[in-house]
Amino acid sequence: MSDLDDFKATYFDECSELLTELEEQFSAIEEGERDADRLNAVFRAIHSIKGGAGAFGFSALVGFAHAYETLLDYVRDGRVDLTDEVVNLCIRANDIVADHVNAAQTGEALPANYGAAEKTRFDAIARGDAVETDDDGGAPMDEFDIEFTPVRVDLEVFADGEAPVDDAFEVPPMTTMEAGQWEIRFTPHQALYARANDPLLLFRELAALGRMSVRPVLRAIPPISDFEPFGVYASWEISIVSPTVTEAAIREVFEFVEGDCDISIVDASLGGVNPPPEVLVEPVWEAPDEIASLLQLSDDEVAPAFTPEPAAVAVGAQDHFEEAPGLSFAALAEELKTLAPPKAPPAPVESAPVAAAPKAALPSSGDGDEHGARTAGVQSIRVDLDKVDRVVNMVGELVITQSMLTQQMDETLRARYTELVRGLEVLAQTTRGLQDSVMAIRAQPVKSVFSRMPRLVRELATKTGKKIKLETIGEATEIDKTVIEQLSDPLTHMIRNSADHGIETPEKRLAGGKSETGTIRLSAEQAGGNILIIVEDDGAGINRERVLKLARDKGIVAPELTPTDEQIDQLIFAPGFSTAEAVSDISGRGVGMDVVLSNIKKIGGSVHVRSWTGKGTRMTLRLPLTLAVLDVMLVKVGGGPYVVPLSSIVETMQCSRASFERVPSGGKVLQVRGEYVQVIDLAQRFEIGTEVAAADRFVVLCETEGSHKVALVVDDIIGQQQVVIKSLEENFERVEGIAGGTILGDGNVALIVDVQGLKTTPLHQSAA
Amino acid sequence: MTLRVLTVDDSRTILAMLHHTLSNAGFEVLQAEDGKQGLDMLRAEAVDVVITDINMPVMDGIEFIRNVRATGQHNSLPILILTTETSQDKRDQGKAAGGTGWIVKPFDPEKLISVIHRVVH
Repeated sequence: MSDLDDFKATYFDECSELLTELEEQFSAIEEGERDADRLNAVFRAIHSIKGGAGAFGFSALVGFAHAYETLLDYVRDGRVDLTDEVVNLCIRANDIVADHVNAAQTGEALPANYGAAEKTRFDAIARGDAVETDDDGGAPMDEFDIEFTPVRVDLEVFADGEAPVDDAFEVPPMTTMEAGQWEIRFTPHQALYARANDPLLLFRELAALGRMSVRPVLRAIPPISDFEPFGVYASWEISIVSPTVTEAAIREVFEFVEGDCDISIVDASLGGVNPPPEVLVEPVWEAPDEIASLLQLSDDEVAPAFTPEPAAVAVGAQDHFEEAPGLSFAALAEELKTLAPPKAPPAPVESAPVAAAPKAALPSSGDGDEHGARTAGVQSIRVDLDKVDRVVNMVGELVITQSMLTQQMDETLRARYTELVRGLEVLAQTTRGLQDSVMAIRAQPVKSVFSRMPRLVRELATKTGKKIKLETIGEATEIDKTVIEQLSDPLTHMIRNSADHGIETPEKRLAGGKSETGTIRLSAEQAGGNILIIVEDDGAGINRERVLKLARDKGIVAPELTPTDEQIDQLIFAPGFSTAEAVSDISGRGVGMDVVLSNIKKIGGSVHVRSWTGKGTRMTLRLPLTLAVLDVMLVKVGGGPYVVPLSSIVETMQCSRASFERVPSGGKVLQVRGEYVQVIDLAQRFEIGTEVAAADRFVVLCETEGSHKVALVVDDIIGQQQVVIKSLEENFERVEGIAGGTILGDGNVALIVDVQGLKTTPLHQSAA
Repeated sequence: MTLRVLTVDDSRTILAMLHHTLSNAGFEVLQAEDGKQGLDMLRAEAVDVVITDINMPVMDGIEFIRNVRATGQHNSLPILILTTETSQDKRDQGKAAGGTGWIVKPFDPEKLISVIHRVVH
């Protein structure tokens, strides 16, 4: 059922947010911020997770969450002290809840007694500290178990005690199912009306149980001089004849008003007294004069005093009468007559009129004149991501169309149509603004990913026996939602790598003159059109000897090559590369860092690693601000259009002015301000050839990771523009050196040059 | 006439399920994520019945109900408490604050509708 799937998707979404929240709250609680707000937030989070789990029948999750919630409830109201032990237990419990949620989501089964030890612990703590005050009688919490059974509910079934297990309201003992006549005496208190309950509705419900007659008892109504408009004067005697109805079914009707009324229910058939209903319907009517005089009051005199409470009217119990929406007293009087006509003997009130009367006589309370103002006080709305993406895409196309239009304006046109030019300029500005706004909708702070990491680090520290501290910086930095979603896995791998391979054991650290506790610093910052996410540790740094040896052994690097330190560092991202001596469950399955690289590449980013022996390692993720639109420089190679992301371009120059030098290996380098830069001729690299004379070609100097430069040689530079990125993998297949494709304003397809890929490929290629 | 139900819950899942169940049953559904939003909503919108959670941030269900009743504008507005509490505690608090009745989570759609019909004309 797709609806259910939708709900589940919403639920799991929500769970992940709530788990993140738990994570954050407990980080603060661990730091000593143990205020009520945090405890309440934690309680609510678990409560919500449990609530949804119940709805979907995830009973293991419900069971665990319930026990946990009870503990939190005790902590919240001070029955249990929030000691470090309890905090640690809670943090552990969060993980178990997360595992349960995960199991529910993936359909994987957890061991039957998963979390049982913690549950027992909750119980023990709750009992131990709370025996005196525990008004639940210290009932073992792990007995709680609810199953989601979408039963068709009818009152009889309910009366037989088949209510959901957690439905703990008191069900009175069942009486025999003998054909019966039930006599009910019902005297509402003021509180019943104050809580918007209504005898009329109760009668309507009772009427569904069997043949019913209702007799009002109005003897308590005082003379008109003493009459309090909101006093409660009426009670009712009701008889129900039905062969099947039970006392429990009748009590169920009065469930909500229990305590707000006096009620006695007698099985008249049990005592052998079974007079015909006609006799019972004798009117009890002792104040006809007063009522009659009351009924004679004009609408003006009485109307303001009454709220639109049908049955409550003559017997009204309202504390206030602000709500008097021009209800005609005559209508109410009519209704009263229906209920209890002052003529003797009144006919038994049948169920139908009772149910129908209020509908006919009264507008529903809310349907008043307030309808006009429809300003909801909600500050945010939830929008389907698809809808946002559609807007983003269309804005992307709009941006391109706009830049195409601008390009079409040559100098003669510009001179001739100044108004048009001005219009286009405004259009360009507005489009830019629109684009930024749309992107802002998709942007989210990286906090949502960062906040999952403390838990990871804690786990890793426990597993490795190391002491690790995580610092996060720049959590408020915003990135496109899609990028954020893709960020979690790579970051996890990177942090695992740092904890596993980077940070040393406390002993080693002390021996090396470092502090016992290693630090992993996770930071985010915006740099131009990119977001930099940096994972930095103060560990041992990359063991280059070992890395190179392993890479050679595995054939990743050809034996004759002597890569630079930096190239060696980058090798940790090579597919199938792992330096872990034994496969651990932390990292080192050889499918860690290459996953990072491919994930990051998929979202148009790049990874760079830099290491200092004995001092630490820094891994930098460079991510695009947005995935939808890219600022590029359009170039020509071999007659075809290519685009180079503008964010990576440092400068361009004519080949005739550039100083190339040959290196012994046969390659070319470019000397720029004293720096030698690798040269990649795109015509050669893409094997398309060119007829443009070498001197007429251009150099596009690009910067790659680690501020290393590469000089691309192209035939011509056409200009800057914005393009919407189309995936090559999705539409064709992955091509080395190409990051994607795009459709230009004139309908031509241009390929996006993967600058980072071009620079790093040769090394890998020679190894293959 | 379509009945308008205001649902107040901080859980999106529950709001979505309520929305689904209620709109399938022909109700018009309004949503608020905490008691404060619920109050604002009631100020602006005409509503026939309210279903509210108890545990919510900003303003919890008990305070919300108390506030609704305190306005004096909604004395006859049925307010149903949505609760998973197994103890009678919360329910009693909700009732004391002015709650009309309650619905126990996880709710069965039919039961939900039948409970609403119990308290609405």
